[in-house]
Amino acid sequence: MSISRKCVPFTPFEGDLSKTTVAIVTAGGVHLRDQEPFNIADELGDLGYRLIPEDVQSSQLMVTHHHYDHSDADEDINVVFPIDVLRDLKAEGFIHDVARKHVGYMGYTMQLRAMYEGTACEIANEIDKGSRADAVILTGG
Amino acid sequence: MKGIPTVLITVSPEVSAQMRPPRALYPKGFKIGNSLGKPNQRELQRTVLRDALKLLTENTRPGEIITTNYPDYGEYHEPPRVRK
Repeated sequence: MSISRKCVPFTPFEGDLSKTTVAIVTAGGVHLRDQEPFNIADELGDLGYRLIPEDVQSSQLMVTHHHYDHSDADEDINVVFPIDVLRDLKAEGFIHDVARKHVGYMGYTMQLRAMYEGTACEIANEIDKGSRADAVILTGG
Repeated sequence: MKGIPTVLITVSPEVSAQMRPPRALYPKGFKIGNSLGKPNQRELQRTVLRDALKLLTENTRPGEIITTNYPDYGEYHEPPRVRK
């Protein structure tokens, strides 16, 4: 999948939020504690991403990012990665379901073309394949 | 694939606007690192997330960022500006 550079890549939403499955994609440097941390030593940044499973507990998540103060996320990951909040919205019937997988990446890179043409497309394909998401919430740091 | 609709929650609206996101919510005055609110402000976090998802069903203009006030956040932080 490629992303248009010329116009806003707007995908219409058709349907009803109460029938919608939602995934989270965050540039806030969120990953599982047992996944490899993002590389904050490299001045060029880190183009990688980490898959976060649907059954994750918020206590299993952490942040590796050196371009924002993530002390609040360290206390409650939901301030940048609202996984428990999404589960609340499912419980109240506002959405149908939480997606099968979510994505964290660091969102700091000097390699903008590689991020735009590489990582972004890989993340979109991850969401497209097997997440069952009908819509995605994007957050930054 | 036909694409997946997205909604961005941003606390850096000027920076985000440069990327012309398809749909975006700016919770006014939230600081960087507090996209949904402060730690354990769960009711506020739910409200912000509901409002963001509701943008999917509204006729927003692609590239436009919707600013919303959330007094329960209790603080105002000036967002980063884009150097011109």
